[in-house]
Amino acid sequence: MTASGIRLTIARKEFGDALRSRVVWGIVAVIAVMSSLSAALPLLVPEAGGGPEAAIGGASQFAGLLVPIMSLLAAYLSIVGERESGSLKMLLGLPPSRGEVLVGKFLGRGGAVVVGIASGFAISGVITAALYGELPVAAFLATTALTVLLAVSFLGIAVGISALTATRSRAMTLAITAYLGLTLLWDLAPNGVHLLVTGELPGTALPPWFLLVRGLSPTGAYNALVQRTLLGGAATDAALGGPSPAYLDPAVFLAVLLVWGALPLVVGYGGFRRADLS
Amino acid sequence: MPADAPPSSEEATDDRPVAIRTSDLTKRYGDDVLAVDALDLTVYAGEIFGFLGPNGAGKSTTIDVIMDYVRPSAGSVTVLGHDAQAETRAVHERVGILPDGYGLYERLTGRKNLEYAVELKGTGDDIDALLDRVGLESAAADRAVGGYSKGMTQRLALAIALVGDPDVLILDEPSSGLDPNGVRLVREIARDHADRGKTVFFSSHILSQVEAVCDRVAILDRGRLVAVDTIAGLRAALDAGSTVTLTVDAVPDRLTLGEVAGVDDVAVDDRTIRVRVGEAAAKVDVIDRVRDDGAAVLDVTIAESSLEDLFSAYTGGSSPNRDGPDAAGPVAADADGGTR
Repeated sequence: MTASGIRLTIARKEFGDALRSRVVWGIVAVIAVMSSLSAALPLLVPEAGGGPEAAIGGASQFAGLLVPIMSLLAAYLSIVGERESGSLKMLLGLPPSRGEVLVGKFLGRGGAVVVGIASGFAISGVITAALYGELPVAAFLATTALTVLLAVSFLGIAVGISALTATRSRAMTLAITAYLGLTLLWDLAPNGVHLLVTGELPGTALPPWFLLVRGLSPTGAYNALVQRTLLGGAATDAALGGPSPAYLDPAVFLAVLLVWGALPLVVGYGGFRRADLS
Repeated sequence: MPADAPPSSEEATDDRPVAIRTSDLTKRYGDDVLAVDALDLTVYAGEIFGFLGPNGAGKSTTIDVIMDYVRPSAGSVTVLGHDAQAETRAVHERVGILPDGYGLYERLTGRKNLEYAVELKGTGDDIDALLDRVGLESAAADRAVGGYSKGMTQRLALAIALVGDPDVLILDEPSSGLDPNGVRLVREIARDHADRGKTVFFSSHILSQVEAVCDRVAILDRGRLVAVDTIAGLRAALDAGSTVTLTVDAVPDRLTLGEVAGVDDVAVDDRTIRVRVGEAAAKVDVIDRVRDDGAAVLDVTIAESSLEDLFSAYTGGSSPNRDGPDAAGPVAADADGGTR
């Protein structure tokens, strides 16, 4: 069998496993419920104001916190679980190479997560349209696509962790660390840096580097891109109190998301390729 | 199936095609664990090769390197002429493995597990024929593997090893968890495989299983190769033949047993004569000679020296079924199956 055939065979099995284990259905349900609720929030609390764009923005806030957890949960055991159970020995005793196993896992689990997120968003899109009588389709689709990209980014991190570690518990420790560090702590980091540099917490006018630092985590880059999609470049200019520099271009944040997906995979493969699996 | 490896001194005397060859294979874990120590081993195509040694001797580590689960610290392994580390794909397409410490996909049925292996190997095997060959019933194959007994799991793993009718079949402790029928099945599969010109590499710490099925045997102890020979050759080398014990009505005054070819030792005690013979054919001669000397033979018992005796002699008295390396030297350690 060809190398790509082997990768696809592994990916197909991983996708099937994810469907069977209800990971995908969990993702669909959580995304649909949370984003529908946040879409309904402006209607329930009219003072908050806002139309369907604000509803999508609210949904993306939830997604920014939940999607990384889902990706990590869906894949942090993908390789190390098989390593600990010994099924990896059977798998690698067959023709697949370690690289093909890694890519197959990434594609299969990635496919499952992507399908789950897209379905969840489709449901909440219908609900949003029903609640507001309209749906800004372009902004909605762009936000869905960005959320998928965020999921893929954390999937790369999860598979990378799974390839690099020898035990489940170690993989779990790293996955939790990655989530807390990249999703929660990183959001606070720019404030700390601001305090150190200027001696005070950031006020109304933010320095441009502040937005860059905040956007260097996958979640930060995702938030920056969603904001840009929903509010346009003017919002950034307003926050800065002037025109934004080139390094705050959306392409930079897009690159950040992609690098966060790819780099852990490469590092994980490097460790996995050399590991003794006894 | 030519051996690309440079000819060794052994190959100079034997140019049969080589299935597996390890050259100066060494595997260290950390600084103080030497799991395999400069192992030179040649397994020829078409033979059933027994790989024998106590737990922790380095058998599984050697197989781990053959299968590229583990990288050697020094030396190399070729399988059917392909380097085990550099040409893994070529090796794995022609090898079937029942590894040590393996697992299966517990949520999938036995059939799905097997189908996955067939698909990945791209060999298009008949699933039912494979199940039948290892004695797994169709109903059992359609249940999730998580509910399997150890014996059923082992049979399914054996079926996966047989996918694609591999040129080299590597079995690491294949009989563990199997009932006597299963043990017999493993032997039949090994013989059947070899009868069709394929190679079987059979690793075990249970002597009787290796003795029953293998053409040649290597004995590994604390990472070092201590002997390679046929079972008969090992016996002869150790001068550990059989003992014939005769009960007679009266021991003849003139006993000429010492003149019989193949007799190594004679001991007389009351009406019992114990004769140690080095050749199988000598046993009957011994009985005939005692009669010729004028005694009536009332009873005969023949005791073969067991492979256990043999094994103890080679491995310095360590019992073959010993679980831990407690009596072993500092280097044997737990790097191998001893930890599982």
